[in-house]
Amino acid sequence: MMSTFPTAFMFIFAALATGILPRGSARSIILLITPILAAWQIWNLPFGIFAQVELLGQSLDMMRVDKLSRIFGLIFCLAAFLGNLYAWHVRDLVQQIAALLYAGAAIGAVFAGDLITLFFYWEGTAIASVFLIWARRTEGAYHTGMRYLIIQITSGVILLAGAALLYRETGSITFERMTLGSLGTWLIFISFGIKCAFPLLHNWLQDSYPAATITGTVILSAFTTKLAVYALARGFAGTEILIYIGAIMTLFPIFFAEIENDLRRVLAYSLNNQLGFMVVGIGVGTEMAINGTASHAFAHILYKALLFMSVGAVMLRTGTSKASELGGLCRTMPRTAIFCLVGAASISAFPLFSGFVTKSLIMDETANQHYPIIWAILVFASAGVLSHSGIKIPYFTFFGHDSGLRPKEAPLHMQTAMGLTALLCIVIGVYPDPLYALLPYEVVYHPYTMSHVIGQLQLLCFALLAFVVLMRTGIHPPEIRAVNLDVDWIYRRLAPAIYGVIYTFVVKAFTYCEVSMNNLLQLTIKGLYKLHGPETGVSRMRGVGSMVIWVAILLGFSLASSYL
Amino acid sequence: MDWEKPEDKSKLSSLGLALSWFTRPQNANKLFIGLTLLCLILFFADFTYHKHGHFHIEEIPGFYGVYGFVMFTALILVAKILRMIIKRPENYYGDKSIDQEDYPANQLEQDTK
Repeated sequence: MMSTFPTAFMFIFAALATGILPRGSARSIILLITPILAAWQIWNLPFGIFAQVELLGQSLDMMRVDKLSRIFGLIFCLAAFLGNLYAWHVRDLVQQIAALLYAGAAIGAVFAGDLITLFFYWEGTAIASVFLIWARRTEGAYHTGMRYLIIQITSGVILLAGAALLYRETGSITFERMTLGSLGTWLIFISFGIKCAFPLLHNWLQDSYPAATITGTVILSAFTTKLAVYALARGFAGTEILIYIGAIMTLFPIFFAEIENDLRRVLAYSLNNQLGFMVVGIGVGTEMAINGTASHAFAHILYKALLFMSVGAVMLRTGTSKASELGGLCRTMPRTAIFCLVGAASISAFPLFSGFVTKSLIMDETANQHYPIIWAILVFASAGVLSHSGIKIPYFTFFGHDSGLRPKEAPLHMQTAMGLTALLCIVIGVYPDPLYALLPYEVVYHPYTMSHVIGQLQLLCFALLAFVVLMRTGIHPPEIRAVNLDVDWIYRRLAPAIYGVIYTFVVKAFTYCEVSMNNLLQLTIKGLYKLHGPETGVSRMRGVGSMVIWVAILLGFSLASSYL
Repeated sequence: MDWEKPEDKSKLSSLGLALSWFTRPQNANKLFIGLTLLCLILFFADFTYHKHGHFHIEEIPGFYGVYGFVMFTALILVAKILRMIIKRPENYYGDKSIDQEDYPANQLEQDTK
């Protein structure tokens, strides 16, 4: 019975129950219990394919449980639990239902064994998650949510088109490893790429995550992109182009993150950069690399949520997440500051923190497989991570110049959520073996070697030293209120501008035609009037006498001519 | 600064007081010297063990340190140039973005200490 009940349905039923419950903390309790029950179910399921449904002659596999889907299913449950605990104070029914359905759809997608089920949940994540943006209930959030929804739905439609083409080609809708080649596989690849924020397809991420509610962003940060990472790992492991796409993904966001003022957008860029490491791992595609991607996704969901939580707590107390308005908050929000530092150390991959034991799996395997340039890019990107997530977030929020703000410490439930997440970050970093045991393949790896620890510490400490030197010399760019252009400029400014030009042209041409037609018509009427008007030309009234004279002349003329 | 006043300090929790040590201007030099010393120790630590990397370049003592320092600096400089090109005023996208609007106050819990 347990195995025939898809985990995602648990969340859907919980969302229905939440909908009918009266206001109050009862709903918050459901939000906490559901992920625990789901995790318990996933943990106890044997490997295999369950909950098969026949639909239109096709067999839909609702639950395909193996080591790859299990680790993603578990971390999604954990993320949902921590995110909902962080959002304990939220009484907004829209956000509560959206959080449940969103987590449920993401987990459903992870366990989907065929492309149709995947498509169903793929669109489910898009529709459920947009309400976490709209729940902010402002004009800006509405427009941002619309842009987000259009892009996410497009990704799903492309997935469906790809699945249809693939079915025509192979006669199967099973979601398994594919080789890029036919149009169908390329469409599926691009669909995954949109959700995974590939370069040039990435900007929905930085556009929408800062627009969500404080708690909504924490929940958003966990699912959509990591679902795409899972889908790529399942469908396109070992596809070489992913190595280069991933390397570019690690690289370009670090420059944008450096000069971005909105700290939640900095974190969105940083998220994009972290996805790059995972995508490189998928591209390399060896067992160890896929292990690296899965473990890095696991660790990343936790420390990224932790960073979003700490910035969110600051936002809850100060009303802003802009670095230019913040600073010096460690005095009155010291616990949040420490949790933020743990997240920063984890994402920067300091030894004893979670990023260190997971990212190095990917980096070492990239080196093992002889990609020296990619490896050098990843090492550089690691220093870049330190610059924006490791230094910028905690420094400009909690230390740095004193903004004069003295907000109260974060609410207790937020501290609990942050504390638990921070604890997990440290536990994974100190004792990675349980996480390694969950990975898709057997792990033979020891992160704590002398070379590795010293090398990583050197990289980070010297980069930190460079930061201090640049700050003291005034070279480091200051935090200023501004927005920076990115690819979204194309559809937010360029496309409307082009549309505007075309619109003006069409309107002008139409007006011109209309005026010319009008003139022509007037000329014709005038001409006709001239000819046939009462005063002129053909229709002038003449006396009967003159007609008689003319008739007489004509008759006389013809008479005369007959005698000639 | 305000927080230097004793009555303000007494409002801080002991943890907040401890962390505020890092923000005091008179401690900036201590932190800088401490960090420099740490970097030096890490650099010389490279001579104390046999390095085994995947590439020969990793075996150069202090490779990671130099690479980190140089690339970090380069990153900041490139980002500065990038900012000159792509920086726009906060209301650039008008009411179709959240950049110029305040977070709804009814969703905040803005208590001060």
